[in-house]
Amino acid sequence: MAEQVIFDKKPGAWRTFCVSTWLGWQIESNWTDLFVFLIYSIVWPLSRAAILVVMYLVIRGADFSNPEFVNMYLGNALFGLIGNVVNSVAGGIIEEREHYRTLKYLYVAPIHIPTYLVGRGVAAMAGGLLSLVTTVAFAAVFLHMPINFGQINWLLLIPAMLFGFIALVSIGLFLAGWALTIKNNPWVLGQSFSSLFFFVSGAVFPLSVVFGNWEWPGYIFPVGFWLVLTRRAIVPGVGHSFQMYTQLSDLQLLGLLALYSVVFLGIATLTFRMFDRKAREEGMIDMVSNY
Amino acid sequence: METKVIKQDGWRLFARTVIGRAYPRVVGTLRDLNWLFFDVFFPLVNMIGYVLTYQALKAPQEYVGFVVLGGAMSAFWFNVLWSMSTQLYWEKETGNLSLYIVSPTSMMAILLGMALGGMLSTALRAVVILGIGTWLFHVQYAVTSFWVLFAVFMLMIIALYGMGMMTASLFLLFNREGWHIANLFEPPVMLFSGFYFPVKTFGFWPGVAASIIPLTMGMDAMRQLAFPSGEATGLLPVRTEIIVLVGLCVFYLLAARWFLAYMEKLAIRQGKISDRLS
Amino acid sequence: MYAIETNKLSRIYKIKKTRKKPASTLVALNNVDLTVGQGELFGLLGPNGAGKTTLIKILTTILGPSSGTAKVDGLDVEKEAAELRKRINMVSGGETSGYGLLTVRENLWMFTQFYGIPSNQAYPRIDELIKLVGLEEKADTKCSDLSTGLRQKMNIIRGFMTDPQVLFLDEPTLGLDVTAARDIRQFVRGWVDENKSRTLLLTTHYMVEAEELCDRVAIIDKGRVLAVDTPEALKATIKDRSIYTIVVNRLDEDDFASLKSIEGISSGSCKQTETGCRMELAFEEDGVINKLMNFLSERGSSIQTLHKREPSLEDVFIKLVGRSLSDAEKQNGN
Repeated sequence: MAEQVIFDKKPGAWRTFCVSTWLGWQIESNWTDLFVFLIYSIVWPLSRAAILVVMYLVIRGADFSNPEFVNMYLGNALFGLIGNVVNSVAGGIIEEREHYRTLKYLYVAPIHIPTYLVGRGVAAMAGGLLSLVTTVAFAAVFLHMPINFGQINWLLLIPAMLFGFIALVSIGLFLAGWALTIKNNPWVLGQSFSSLFFFVSGAVFPLSVVFGNWEWPGYIFPVGFWLVLTRRAIVPGVGHSFQMYTQLSDLQLLGLLALYSVVFLGIATLTFRMFDRKAREEGMIDMVSNY
Repeated sequence: METKVIKQDGWRLFARTVIGRAYPRVVGTLRDLNWLFFDVFFPLVNMIGYVLTYQALKAPQEYVGFVVLGGAMSAFWFNVLWSMSTQLYWEKETGNLSLYIVSPTSMMAILLGMALGGMLSTALRAVVILGIGTWLFHVQYAVTSFWVLFAVFMLMIIALYGMGMMTASLFLLFNREGWHIANLFEPPVMLFSGFYFPVKTFGFWPGVAASIIPLTMGMDAMRQLAFPSGEATGLLPVRTEIIVLVGLCVFYLLAARWFLAYMEKLAIRQGKISDRLS
Repeated sequence: MYAIETNKLSRIYKIKKTRKKPASTLVALNNVDLTVGQGELFGLLGPNGAGKTTLIKILTTILGPSSGTAKVDGLDVEKEAAELRKRINMVSGGETSGYGLLTVRENLWMFTQFYGIPSNQAYPRIDELIKLVGLEEKADTKCSDLSTGLRQKMNIIRGFMTDPQVLFLDEPTLGLDVTAARDIRQFVRGWVDENKSRTLLLTTHYMVEAEELCDRVAIIDKGRVLAVDTPEALKATIKDRSIYTIVVNRLDEDDFASLKSIEGISSGSCKQTETGCRMELAFEEDGVINKLMNFLSERGSSIQTLHKREPSLEDVFIKLVGRSLSDAEKQNGN
């Protein structure tokens, strides 16, 4: 008698998540040569950081341990992660639909699409962390910034990273759903929001530079909480001198980040369903948008 | 269908090809207004980010002008990198490259057409970015000689697009990796060419080394000619920089011709113009 | 003078080593000797991977031969490429040439400029050809909005509008629907018939296309030209045989292999279907049918339908290659 082959037709969320993380990693690190990949993940973030370093150098001189600059530099490095994760999730679904033309097959397969997108976000986060560590290590070694790995507040950093990731993926998921229903240039969405975050999150300069005395734009999205918290965790003291949310303690800020991440996750889950339904109704799952 | 077709050759064919290939770049891109978003909005947002960074550092107002100028010139850099250097590879992917080779025209004319079209369409973007940036941040210019400034700009653009023509052939040989290499070059050139600060900051020799990218000397000379304290921030006197730019124009155009001939020969021998095997 | 002439033409591709496979070579063309006369519509018939496109690439100067020589319109493809390019053009099936943002008319005009055709000549010619292939309504449509069939019609115009002496069409009807493919075939035939100084070389793996269109056909497989003649003459080589299409309820591949040993069966192919096995068999004489029936009944198989028909190019292919065109494509990994 022929051997009976049994397989589970509906892969669980964990398997979908693992496969999409692996696939996301393959796409994020799509180099034929590991050497090229390493250069890419080092050269890009370092060059961007170096532009900031030189701008500071020509105006203020080589005082790189100045807390104002340390906050600028760290914020700039951390901001790379925001773009990575948001664009990877939001752009991922459009990449699948229009570049690889595989979205229709993913929809036909018994997998949970949001889980798949979260997996891609994890891969993007991992790639981004590699760049972040390189940039921060460069600052500590060559610019003599007061970054001491022994003094990092891990108890603050780890939950901040976790909730930050949930918040970023949620934003990405919301944008992914929205992008699915856009006919012209859906790619713009992720990039536009990343640009917007640069101004409302205090990535390099505090909100006061853009909005004067208004601080409310910093409360619309949780990205500002995350950036300030991670700065406070990586360089305690220095991070606290950054002129944003100064009236909030670490715990209050963490609480806000946690609350926002849960709320954003809820909103993203609901809106993704809504956008997904609309996209199916209008036959946009396998469309190719206009350029 | 039986009418006899007149086919011109020599310089007429060359000129027709240049215009023919420039056409889709100018008309085609203007037809698709998405460029307003991608080529104006994003560079503008990027530029505003750098301006605000300088303002946060309480930098002199002139540095805001440097950023606005750099922001406008970045449109040319992106155009050369993404629509020149990697273009032959995309032309190969779409099947156009083999049709260019099969046609009796010169590939140099095709590349010149691409460059000319790119220059014209990007000039419009650059003017929009420069205009909005100047208006938004009240940039003050002190142009001593408009014609010298214009000449420097033109020399820089010719040398830059000459470099793009050269790398187009080079990147074709790298195949898909050419795209990654272009990606790899984008930020380091933004750094070393001094888009947002005087290149003199790096010191004399690193500045000279960075001048292999025509934008470095071009922007340095333009800063000297357009801003009151520009001369103090210049790497070399404007006259010397003009001579270097002329040299770069000659070098890159000749190199483009040589690499193109080499690429065509090699690609025909190795079958790299079209990878399809059957 | 021949329009196309190749002499011991070979092309070997070097395949780089990968992690899984060592470096190797692939012989795409092997000592091909071919002559095509002026005014001929010549077909290269063979499965995917047979070497047809490689031959076209060499003849259109975009690929160098590894050894041997080739001349088109009397000009050496390597040494006189610049002069030759004025006299040829090429269209490939499924190509996506041109720019999506330009209209059909604009794209075609752009390509005329690469051939030095003045605009006042180019535009009337483009309009004439657009009308001829039935693209008038789409003349001002952006190429990105065209269907595959319409895009291929545009490509066909691109090839013809420069009035080449020798035109190369590589699988021109690939992926097209029946109507679009028929329109293109009619247009191609008309172009050659109109002026006998024009030559057209077309590659195809559609038997009907080769049979319907071509004055002469070369059957090519694994880089070798196996036979060259008119479709009628090629079919005449198996005229002394009786060709049958026989459907049996079941016959596995091993049985089919042993069937070939029956005396009087000269060649054949089989295709497994849902209802059984469909065989194309060539008998030296009709009497072999009795032996076949005995053979089948011994294996518990019975004939469902039996149909005697005229020989086709497919049968010639089976005779020459030893397998059907679709089997050959499977073997070539396509």
